[in-house]
Amino acid sequence: MTKNAEISTRLKGDVSVIDIRGDVTPAAAAPIEDAYRGITAAGGKKILLAFNADCYINSGGIAVLIGVLSQTKKNAQTVRITGLTPHFQKIFSMVGLTKYAQISPSEDAGLAGFQESR
Amino acid sequence: MTDSKFELHVPSTPGSEKLAMDFAADVARRMNFPADRVEDLKTAVAEACMNAIEHGNKLDASTRVGIRLTLSKDRLQVVVQDKGPGIGEVKPPDLASRIEGRAEPRGWGIYLIENLMDEVTFESTAEGSVVKMLIYLEKGK
Repeated sequence: MTKNAEISTRLKGDVSVIDIRGDVTPAAAAPIEDAYRGITAAGGKKILLAFNADCYINSGGIAVLIGVLSQTKKNAQTVRITGLTPHFQKIFSMVGLTKYAQISPSEDAGLAGFQESR
Repeated sequence: MTDSKFELHVPSTPGSEKLAMDFAADVARRMNFPADRVEDLKTAVAEACMNAIEHGNKLDASTRVGIRLTLSKDRLQVVVQDKGPGIGEVKPPDLASRIEGRAEPRGWGIYLIENLMDEVTFESTAEGSVVKMLIYLEKGK
C-alpha cells in the first residue's frame, strides 16, 4: 500500500542532488532531513531535489519539504526541483513552493540553472 | 443516466488513504474524466481521507473512514466521513510564516482540497464529520 521513500544523494559538479523515490509523506522526514544535513555538513550550497515521476506526495510530505526549505533559506543555499509530474508542479506552485525553489523540466536544465544564476 | 453509488471503508491507519485514492481514480477514469482532473481528484480524496484518519479518527485502527462515491452524468461526488468533531474554521495557510519558522509547516490538506475540487462542504453530524467534494467532468462548470 505505502512505498517507503528511497532517498539518496550524489554530487554533480558543485551541485548536491537528492534523489527522491516512493512516498513523500511525514514518514519520509527522517531520510530527507538526514540527506539534507549531510549535504550541509559537507558545505553544499546548491541542492537539486530530483523527484522520481512515480512519487506520491501528500500534504505531510509537502510540510517536510517546507521544513527543508526553511533550513536552506537560513543557510543561504539555493534549491531547484526537477522530476515532478505536471500535477505536482501545479500543487507546488499552488502552495507557493516555487517562490523558494525553481522547478526545472529536466535534471540537465536544473543543473544548468544553477550555473546561470551564479 | 441514473446515479450510481459505491461505498468503501478503509482502516484509520496511515497509507489507507491510498486505497480510497486509487478507487476514486479508477471510477473517474471509467467516467472519462480527463487525466489532469483525475490527478486533482486523487490528491483531494487522499487529503480528505488522511485528515479523517489522523484528526477525525485519531489513528485508531479499530475505526474506519467511510468513502461514498456518487456518479452522475456530468459529475462525481465523493463524501468522506469520520468519527471526529469536525475541523472548525481553517485559515488559509501562509507559506512565508512557515518558511521563516513562525508556524508549523503542516496544514495544507484543506487548502489543497478546496483548490482542486469544484465544490467542497464540511459538515458535523451526530455521527462525526463529513467532507463532501464535487468534481465536474468539465472544469469550471
